[in-house]
Amino acid sequence: MSYMLNPGAQSESNIEVHKYYGGTVIVTAFLALVLQAFLHKYGRWSELIDLPLLVTVYFGVSRRNPVTGMFLGAAVGLLQDALSHDNPIGLYGISKTIVGYLASTVGARIDTQHPVSRLALIFLFFHFHQILFAITQRALLNHSEPFFTLRLLLNSAVTAAFGVALFALLDRLRRS
Amino acid sequence: MIDTTLRQRPLFLLAALVLAQVLLLAFQIKRDHDVRLIRYWAAAVIMPFERGGTSAFSKTGGIWSDYVGLRGTRAENARLRAEVDQLQLRNRELEGQAGEAQRLSVLLNFHDAHPETQMLSAQVIGASADPASHTLFLNRGERDHVRRNQAVITPDGIVGKIVEVFPATSQVLLISDKDSGAGALLADTRTHGVVKGSGDPDPRLDYVVNDEPVHAGEVILTSGEDRIFPKDLLIGTVSMANPGNPFQVIHVQPAARLDRLEDVLILLTPQELKKPNESDDAGGSQTISPGIVQREPAPPSNPAPSAANAAKPNRAHPAVGTVTAPPAASPKPPAATPNTQAPASAPAAPQN
Repeated sequence: MSYMLNPGAQSESNIEVHKYYGGTVIVTAFLALVLQAFLHKYGRWSELIDLPLLVTVYFGVSRRNPVTGMFLGAAVGLLQDALSHDNPIGLYGISKTIVGYLASTVGARIDTQHPVSRLALIFLFFHFHQILFAITQRALLNHSEPFFTLRLLLNSAVTAAFGVALFALLDRLRRS
Repeated sequence: MIDTTLRQRPLFLLAALVLAQVLLLAFQIKRDHDVRLIRYWAAAVIMPFERGGTSAFSKTGGIWSDYVGLRGTRAENARLRAEVDQLQLRNRELEGQAGEAQRLSVLLNFHDAHPETQMLSAQVIGASADPASHTLFLNRGERDHVRRNQAVITPDGIVGKIVEVFPATSQVLLISDKDSGAGALLADTRTHGVVKGSGDPDPRLDYVVNDEPVHAGEVILTSGEDRIFPKDLLIGTVSMANPGNPFQVIHVQPAARLDRLEDVLILLTPQELKKPNESDDAGGSQTISPGIVQREPAPPSNPAPSAANAAKPNRAHPAVGTVTAPPAASPKPPAATPNTQAPASAPAAPQN
């Protein structure tokens, strides 16, 4: 398992770049946004999972194209901001743009097919995203958004566990 | 240099993208401007799907809850059916008890209306095993002072008489039995006759001459001549009357439901039942109780006490009791003697 998380275990050229049917990325990202907003109406339990983040990370590490990853992250983040009532547009956009870029970069260097590596990646990206979000809030809006709380830890664990299953599901959308 | 720039292109793009968003944020914060257009378009794109999802979710949820509810309903339905069955059973029991209470209430009222007459209520506990024998068994016997030839009645009408007495039970010969007979008279014309069993459910009224007008529905009362049934107890009504030889063939519909008897009254004394308002109401025909009809004076058009009737031959017939002194204006059949208390002057008659 160690090689999975070791950037030097495999060379970049050996990493397979996955292709998807046309529109898959856009439709999936769109559905993630719709579901996130939709599930939010049915209780606070939906806040445990960050579906847009999961989609951004998944397609970032799968496509392994930093440009695509950052633009996907930007689009998802901006739409997430737009659908929120009180967030200035760009808060989630900045965070998810950087996460998309980083996920593509990491995906190009390590194998992210194993569930454990996926669990770790999602967990780390969740907190990285939260840190970026908090920095943006603190720097630009002067809001005291926390970097880490137990609640965020729980959210990251649930999102990571859910993300492993979701990634396995999304793997079926690959064009063989 | 160029090569390095191309290799770093994604990084520059990232920086540009982030910078653009920072500027967007700064624009919103510094100018306090909300970028409503972006929100508007985002909502316009997302909300139709939200609305559709909500609708589908609520319908799916409704179907699901209905399905779960139906499963619960099925179990509840089975439980309620079992409960309904139990309640129906209980209801039948209560209906039976209510019916019994009503019958007993009628008997009690009848008994209370005639305090001068000793009566004993009895329950029908059995019937004869012989289909041709119309007899019943009562739960009263010698210990209850029941004796042979005592009348058995219901508030509806007469039933029969005691023919056998055992220590705790007794046997009743119904008026529909072919060996039975009771002194009777037609209420309208006061024409006397004898109601005899025929073996059929409907007894016959015998010894009424063909000249006597008898119509269906006419009330038939006990005449009291048999010394078993007190006078003016209701026997039944004429169901059919046809000319015969030498007497009319008159079918009688018993007033008492002889096929559905459950509770009866035994008259311990053959004393005539008094009408409660006999002393203060002298005229007019009226029913005092279901089983007793007050005697009415003969209407002017009633040919009952006519000379023609009086001149008709008196012939002996198998009556069931001793004929008492006839009413002055009433035609009567010849006297018959009971098998128990026949006076020496009266001719004996075959008695069951």
